[in-house]
Amino acid sequence: MIITLVEKIYDHKGNCNMYKAIMNDITKFVPHDPDNTDYQVIQEWAAIEGNNIIDPGA
Amino acid sequence: MAITRIGNPAIADQRGINFRNIIINGGMDVAQRGTSVSSVTATGYNTCDRFQTSFTGTAGTWTESQSTDVPSSQGFSKSFKLDCTTADASLSTTDSLTIQTKFEGQNLQYLLKGTSSAKNLTLSFWVKSNKTGTYIAELDDNDNARNINKSYTINSADTWEKKTITFAGDTTGAFDNDNGASLRIFFWLAAGTNFTSGTLQTSWGSTVDANRAVGQVNLADSTSNEWYITGVQLEAGQVASDFEFLPFDVNENRCQRYFQEVGGPVTGSVGFANSFTGLFNTTTEVIGNRILPVKMRAAPTVTISALSTFDLEPFDQAPSTLVAQNSSPDEVNLNADSPTARTKGFGGMITIDQSAGYVRMDAEL
Repeated sequence: MIITLVEKIYDHKGNCNMYKAIMNDITKFVPHDPDNTDYQVIQEWAAIEGNNIIDPGA
Repeated sequence: MAITRIGNPAIADQRGINFRNIIINGGMDVAQRGTSVSSVTATGYNTCDRFQTSFTGTAGTWTESQSTDVPSSQGFSKSFKLDCTTADASLSTTDSLTIQTKFEGQNLQYLLKGTSSAKNLTLSFWVKSNKTGTYIAELDDNDNARNINKSYTINSADTWEKKTITFAGDTTGAFDNDNGASLRIFFWLAAGTNFTSGTLQTSWGSTVDANRAVGQVNLADSTSNEWYITGVQLEAGQVASDFEFLPFDVNENRCQRYFQEVGGPVTGSVGFANSFTGLFNTTTEVIGNRILPVKMRAAPTVTISALSTFDLEPFDQAPSTLVAQNSSPDEVNLNADSPTARTKGFGGMITIDQSAGYVRMDAEL
């Protein structure tokens, strides 16, 4: 899985429950659910030094 | 009134006559994502639900389809087909191609894996290929990094053959009792030497790559090659019972625990349909919600088609931005920006009004 972007998405109440991610050239909206396999992949990706999740703010 | 058990009395080690098949969509009837995808070179679910084409490295280029080529007079109407369009006759050591299907541990507890009473498992399926020879079927315990592999032979080219393989029960390593992927079945189709250089592991043991696909033919070695499978059944016990045909709606609902799609209209443009219903939360922001018809395994990943395939109703105007804002196993919210200011609090719908449009929700294992 090639991840080129992960960005936080905030809802109308300012909560961040989703990531917007580009994974294998596909834009995905990935929930913060430990059972979601894309979320698991993002967590592994984010744990690697140099990979950063962009936070545009609420 | 006397009650008589229905079914084969020889099948004494089963969960019951209904839902004895652990495989979901083993008859390949459900294909929510589409019926044919070309240029397949990477891991993904493409056509028949619950069956994933999986690569390590490269192993040819394929057209994957839901085919109507099926065994004669067996009751099947669909099969899963791979057709090689670019060959790879010289696999690198780490290359492989498999078809996989995966199962939640909470549905497998009755197999008593990891206990002295662990049940045998019998895998049966119909298969057809022009490429005769040895193929490998593997059960993989994803919780405990254990596996077992058995070979089968396609004897006659271009002929449907039924294969039955019994795997011993595993007295080591219980499946987790949760919604994660505990058991995987691999149908090997091509394997580099990293997977073939050892001795085939025909008893349960710790997974060693070199022992997983020993003897496997290389289905990727010619663009003449194709491979079909249907009637896949995995059941407790040492006997392969007749394939368990379930009604289509039951199959579809079971598949939708892992994947659902809201598509656009088949033809033309239809207002107020295929919708996420909500309101203008601000003068320019529409929040639309859709309750999912089947609760999903986990909160799904959401992918959406191009903005031009959506409309904001009742104004018949494409949104300027669109994101999935919240997702749970029961529902998904979309958030759209309206290019024209409206009145806060008014009702609104985010609709898919083009046939190419979709919102896909994926909670696969």
